[in-house]
Amino acid sequence: MSISVRNLTKTFNDKKVLDNISFSVENGHTLGVVGFSGSGKSTLLKIISGLLYSDSGTIITENNSDIAMTFQYSALFDFLDVYHNIAFPLLERREFRGKYSKKEIKNIVKEKLALVGLEGIEEKFPSELSGGMQKRVGFARAIVTNPNIILYDEPTAGLDPVSSTLIENYIVRLKNELNAACIVVTHQMSTITRACDDVILLYEGKIVYRGTVNDFVSANTPYTKQFIEANIDGPMEIKSLT
Amino acid sequence: MINVKSTLTYSFFKLFFHCIKDFLITIGNIGKDFSRVLYYVVRLRINASATIEQSSRFAVDSLPITLTIVGMTSVIIAMQIAPELAKQGAEGYMGMMSALVMIRELSCIMSGFAIISMIGSSFASELASMAVGEQISAMHVLKVDPVEYLVVPRVLSGILTMPFVFIVSSLVGLVCTCLVSYMTAGLSPLNFMTSLWQGLYLRDILIAMLKASFFGGTIALISCSCGYSTRGGAKEVGESTTKAVVWSFVAIAVWDYIFAVLFYL
Repeated sequence: MSISVRNLTKTFNDKKVLDNISFSVENGHTLGVVGFSGSGKSTLLKIISGLLYSDSGTIITENNSDIAMTFQYSALFDFLDVYHNIAFPLLERREFRGKYSKKEIKNIVKEKLALVGLEGIEEKFPSELSGGMQKRVGFARAIVTNPNIILYDEPTAGLDPVSSTLIENYIVRLKNELNAACIVVTHQMSTITRACDDVILLYEGKIVYRGTVNDFVSANTPYTKQFIEANIDGPMEIKSLT
Repeated sequence: MINVKSTLTYSFFKLFFHCIKDFLITIGNIGKDFSRVLYYVVRLRINASATIEQSSRFAVDSLPITLTIVGMTSVIIAMQIAPELAKQGAEGYMGMMSALVMIRELSCIMSGFAIISMIGSSFASELASMAVGEQISAMHVLKVDPVEYLVVPRVLSGILTMPFVFIVSSLVGLVCTCLVSYMTAGLSPLNFMTSLWQGLYLRDILIAMLKASFFGGTIALISCSCGYSTRGGAKEVGESTTKAVVWSFVAIAVWDYIFAVLFYL
């Protein structure tokens, strides 16, 4: 077990956003978290990454686990170039300060950029990169400390289908290279089928389906059917449309 | 049956309590950020290169606008006072009066206003954009404290460089006053300088430098805190910047009053 979430509950203004959520992800596995907007997916990631506190429940990780997260809009530091964005944790995080020489950091950055297929862009600024490239730089920054848990928040949002496929391939590649436990929050079926091993479907803060990707695609439950077929009608009421 | 929620009284009290709540939240955020800045400063966890970079921005980048504002204010005051003093035969007091006004009050407060509008607003909008663009969240996830990385260097730059801005702007203000006194009242620069020494006290200069330091630190802290605590989107970035400017203006007015009471009452 690399990460185990048990009985997680979160309430905002008397509305339960997460209601008793439990799951676990093994090393070298990717869990897809899907659901319509407002179902609590991003809140779940924020709690796991430590950006939000849960009202109750526990998150159990292995000793010395390092959790990395990539953001929907990359969240690259726009005042730093690509090199300093990726090297940021090594230069500024207390436990790494002074641990690596300049040459070592340079090599690490180069190696991580190569892993996401972006060599030679160290001196560019985020504003000079395309959306897909920014996402990949965000991936490189997230994995620079070799984390064993990686969280992806909408990794393919706003990208064209080809760029999405590329990003999905990198998610698989990073999982294999680092043997990390990954959690991917997404709306896109292609991301689930290409990059994930297991899936949970959230609705109103509850898990309404869990299983492998193959089972999810072929499952004939009202919830999975509505999500896969993108039906407005079904057991899941889409609050943003009503 | 009257719908209470549609009455003017209800709207007034709703707005009133919203303002009170907003005031308390802002005070709380500033206090919290101040305690964290203090925590890092006491432990000497200071990023020297970032502090130097921010200091250059705080003092050097703001200097043209600060000097323009202080210079123009001095010119306007001298234009109106020097001829009047000359009419009363009291032009010999012009230098002394200018020194007292410039050192004790004008230079510090005008520099403060200039820095709020130029640097304070820029600190606030910069941090607010980072907050709404999830860059601050990214720092948290990367286990780098944004207060240590972003706020501490800015607050220190304000504390350390504002006295320098005050010295330079005072000099420029006095030179402008001297020139305008000569042009409008025929007061020779030599007489102005002789009179100036009578109103120039080391104690006043030291108090004003300390006051400038407080102004600088307060402007930076409030601006960073308002920016850092922003949630939402573009509208909230604008609101935070406005809030930072208004709060900084009020804060330095309060500091000015406290210093006047403590040292000159």
